[in-house]
Amino acid sequence: MLKNVVAVLFAAASMVGIPSTIQAADAPSNPIDYASERVVKIFGAGGIKNLYAYSSGFLVSSQGHIVTAWSHVLDEQSVSVVLHDGRKFQGVVKGADSPLDLAVIKIEAEDLPFFELQDAVAVTTGARVLAFSNMFKVATGDEPVSVMHGVIAAQTKLQARRGTFESPYSGPVYVVDAITNNPGSAGGVLTTRDGALVGMIGKELRNSSTNTWINYAVPISVLRPTIEDIVAGRTTRKTNDDPTEPGTKVARYVALDFGIVLVPDVVPRTPAFVDAVIAGSPAAKADIRPNDLILFVGESLVQSCRGLREALADLEAGDKLKLVIRRDNVLVPIELPVEKKEVAQ
Amino acid sequence: MRTATAEPSKMVNLSPRSTRWEGEAPAEPRAIIRVDLWKVAGKPLQLGHVIRQRRLGRSLALPPRLTFVCLLLTLLCSPLHAQAPDVAALEEQAMKQAVAALAPSLVKIETVGGLDRVGEVLTGTGPTTGVVIAADGYIISSAFNFASKPAAILCTLADGRRLQATVVATDKLKMLTLLKVEATDLLIPQAAPADTFRVGQWSIALGKTFDDEQPSMSVGIVSATKRIWGKALQTDAKISPVNYGGPLVDMEGRVLGILVPLSPQATGEVTGVEWYDSGIGFAIPYVEILASLERLKQGKDLFPGLMGVTIKGKNIYEGAPVIDRVRYGSPALQAGLKEGDTLLEMDGQKVVRQAQVMHVLGNKYAGDKVSVVVKRDEETVRGDMTLIDKLEAYESAYLGILPVRDPISQAATPGVGVRHAFPDSPAATAGLDRGYRILKFGDTDLTSSTQLLDLVSRKRPKDKVTLTVNSGVEQRTVEVTLGSIPEKLPTDFTSSPIVPKDNGMAPPEAPKVGRISDKMPAHEHDYWAYVPEDYNPDFRYGLMVFLHPGGDNMEGTMLKHWTRVSDERGLILLGPKSKELGGWNPNEADFVKDLTEEFQKRYSIDKARTLVQGYDAGGIFALHLAFKHRALFHGVVAVAAPLREQPPDNEPDFRQQFLFISGDADPLHRPVTASAEFMRKQKFPVIHSVSKDGEHRYPIEDADSIGLWCDALDRI
Repeated sequence: MLKNVVAVLFAAASMVGIPSTIQAADAPSNPIDYASERVVKIFGAGGIKNLYAYSSGFLVSSQGHIVTAWSHVLDEQSVSVVLHDGRKFQGVVKGADSPLDLAVIKIEAEDLPFFELQDAVAVTTGARVLAFSNMFKVATGDEPVSVMHGVIAAQTKLQARRGTFESPYSGPVYVVDAITNNPGSAGGVLTTRDGALVGMIGKELRNSSTNTWINYAVPISVLRPTIEDIVAGRTTRKTNDDPTEPGTKVARYVALDFGIVLVPDVVPRTPAFVDAVIAGSPAAKADIRPNDLILFVGESLVQSCRGLREALADLEAGDKLKLVIRRDNVLVPIELPVEKKEVAQ
Repeated sequence: MRTATAEPSKMVNLSPRSTRWEGEAPAEPRAIIRVDLWKVAGKPLQLGHVIRQRRLGRSLALPPRLTFVCLLLTLLCSPLHAQAPDVAALEEQAMKQAVAALAPSLVKIETVGGLDRVGEVLTGTGPTTGVVIAADGYIISSAFNFASKPAAILCTLADGRRLQATVVATDKLKMLTLLKVEATDLLIPQAAPADTFRVGQWSIALGKTFDDEQPSMSVGIVSATKRIWGKALQTDAKISPVNYGGPLVDMEGRVLGILVPLSPQATGEVTGVEWYDSGIGFAIPYVEILASLERLKQGKDLFPGLMGVTIKGKNIYEGAPVIDRVRYGSPALQAGLKEGDTLLEMDGQKVVRQAQVMHVLGNKYAGDKVSVVVKRDEETVRGDMTLIDKLEAYESAYLGILPVRDPISQAATPGVGVRHAFPDSPAATAGLDRGYRILKFGDTDLTSSTQLLDLVSRKRPKDKVTLTVNSGVEQRTVEVTLGSIPEKLPTDFTSSPIVPKDNGMAPPEAPKVGRISDKMPAHEHDYWAYVPEDYNPDFRYGLMVFLHPGGDNMEGTMLKHWTRVSDERGLILLGPKSKELGGWNPNEADFVKDLTEEFQKRYSIDKARTLVQGYDAGGIFALHLAFKHRALFHGVVAVAAPLREQPPDNEPDFRQQFLFISGDADPLHRPVTASAEFMRKQKFPVIHSVSKDGEHRYPIEDADSIGLWCDALDRI
């Protein structure tokens, strides 16, 4: 009997399980209208090859300060900004921050609706959210931007890349369970169901560990100090047009410095197996043996010989090199001193 | 059995941050959520309140269902109240609760080393997800995660322990891998019973790949059940390498299934990955995984189960499932199924169409028993099969003799005469030679070479048989260990003599000889032919059908270089011409077949030496024809022509021999080599003859060696 009741209730629950926009008392009366009025369409440089000439942004002051993602779209003297009601303005880049992939544009206008940055909220995994952006420039002229719904899939640090380059931003992000990051979406906003500002939608990037497209937004709490600095005129940091390419770092230590000879690195993912140990070396003293597989340097997993090279490159004299190796299916922790290295002439 | 939900206090210990609710840090998550729900829903409701009171009065370890009833009543009753509750907020909380229930059983899996690419798919190096399926350290995950064959696998449990894992076994039907770590007392999740699966129900996909203490989640509904021939649930939650191997969870925190990439069209570890985040994702029902868990724990890989029949008709949704062929040595053959049987029932389910047969078999493992009921004529026949993972390719055995070709007018004599015993063949090794007669094969008296071929064909290489032979001097028995048909062209032997016919006596209605150019009446196709001038209908001739390449019917070339071979080897040449000079159209197969059969009627033809030769596109068409008409063509010569279609299975009923010819400077040489290799693996008798520095052209100089091979087609 109880089972039947449960089944009926369950079916009924599925029917009522549709997204709802009922808000708490202090929220705007219609969160979708509220957010839409504060999100703008930006048109600028691009339009050739795969470079689209449009993006999204959101108002953070009544005098027309607009936050957006830094991109090639802003590579012009001025850009066109179109508000939700069709009003069109010329905007100039007031400042930008390349580590955050962020830019602030200013348009000459008064009494505009805007998001109060200090009212931005933090959310948890599983929270329902709305995303507002001009993805694929579907919204034209006086049309408000497109709205999507989803949940927060995860909170993590961004490990992503754009083409072959690592993304400049590697701070915390909300991963969204909806395809929010599309061409033109960058600079759009993520809000709660009540319209409270949560984050800025970032550029299209691939998750560097799974090689899949990632949908994410940067929390406002991360962006807020920089936005406020730029708006207040305290800083107008320009973007760094030639970001440092990965792999140019000088490797301070290599495996051989510890007396470890690795197997030849022949494929992209050669596991870091020890081929030989030099007699009398620190590795020999610590009883590292041929055929040991080096799995961890400190806390980080070493997936290949290349990964080991990168991990050792960061060491400094006086550090302890903490390794975890696998020997006969047992994990063995090993500690080696990092001695001062003689500079070779 | 211990489950995550039965041990709420432990759950908190293991996942310290799993209680990141909006409220204060709770001591017992279930209680807190309810409090939260009440908070969201406004004032406590009368009905819900009563239940809550009662529940709290009893054990805290009540099944989650009751909690759920409580929640649902809140959901359903509250709209009646003046203060409207936020249904979506309630749902959100219920989902967070379901995720929290699973969190202690989720495992982050990292791999070291392994391939960069599996097939065309670039595999990421990132972490993947697994689910604890048995408390003593067994973890189930998607086989996709191990497609790159990593050197080491590390599992991070929910409590932070990082352990080395080993692969126990892989389920190749459902693309799952079972791992083992050295740990005990792990928390296992609850399984959602199969009878609770409903299309439209909420389903939450969880992953453990991000740098986050909590699992990542994607929310969707169950889109379909029993997808991909009964194997999987379908969901519109976003499924990708981020959560492959993770669980698909219902609103009660029970596992519906394990997320895997699958494709309805193909099989393999990485098929279906291209559908990531598309709204089409698949999960293998968890209850079914539990059912096969013991088998996986034994360390034996599980494979799709095969019964070994082909079914007539290409449209799997139309027409009754009538058995076309029963594979040699297959479970179907052992169950007594026969060609022409109509399948009525399998595994207790009625099967009316081919698709239903696939639905039954699609979810079965090798080793599973399947009952079958068929209709044969007016009879109903029952049988039982134990499915197998691999149908053995059939390989004909080989004795190594050419039989004597007696004139048609000569009265049948007992036994089969040996005209030639190939050097080093099983027959030669056993002492058989020219002039011997084989009288008995085991206990069977022999009357014809066709009968001997059939008996040998049904044996396997290395089988031992006892032959009763007459050497001309004495009768004795010899033990022969049969072999395989050689992969090299036969060495020279003299052809069977044909007594030339006295042409003066030819009656007026006798068939034409010499060079013939004519039209096939019913088809309006042209053809050319060459019949040796001294054709004697008292002897059987070989028949070689030649299929020309596109753009050139090669009539002149063939007549110039092949008439001598034809005269010497007793071979009639037949050159059908395609309607369009440009090349062969697949529906011209009937014309070639009809013309071949017409010639078999018109002349004395040895059916065992009827073959088809083709060059370039003609060679591809020759292979197509031979596969289609397996009883008609006993040999194929494919010149500079690779396989373009899947050959049927080699079977004792149709012994076909294949000769591939290519020049090593021909761009097609590599595909031809691959084709020959492939067919060898399928155990067909194949010879690949390579001409050194050969370009892409027809090798006129090979007419003698090809002719020799054609003359040896009736070898046994």
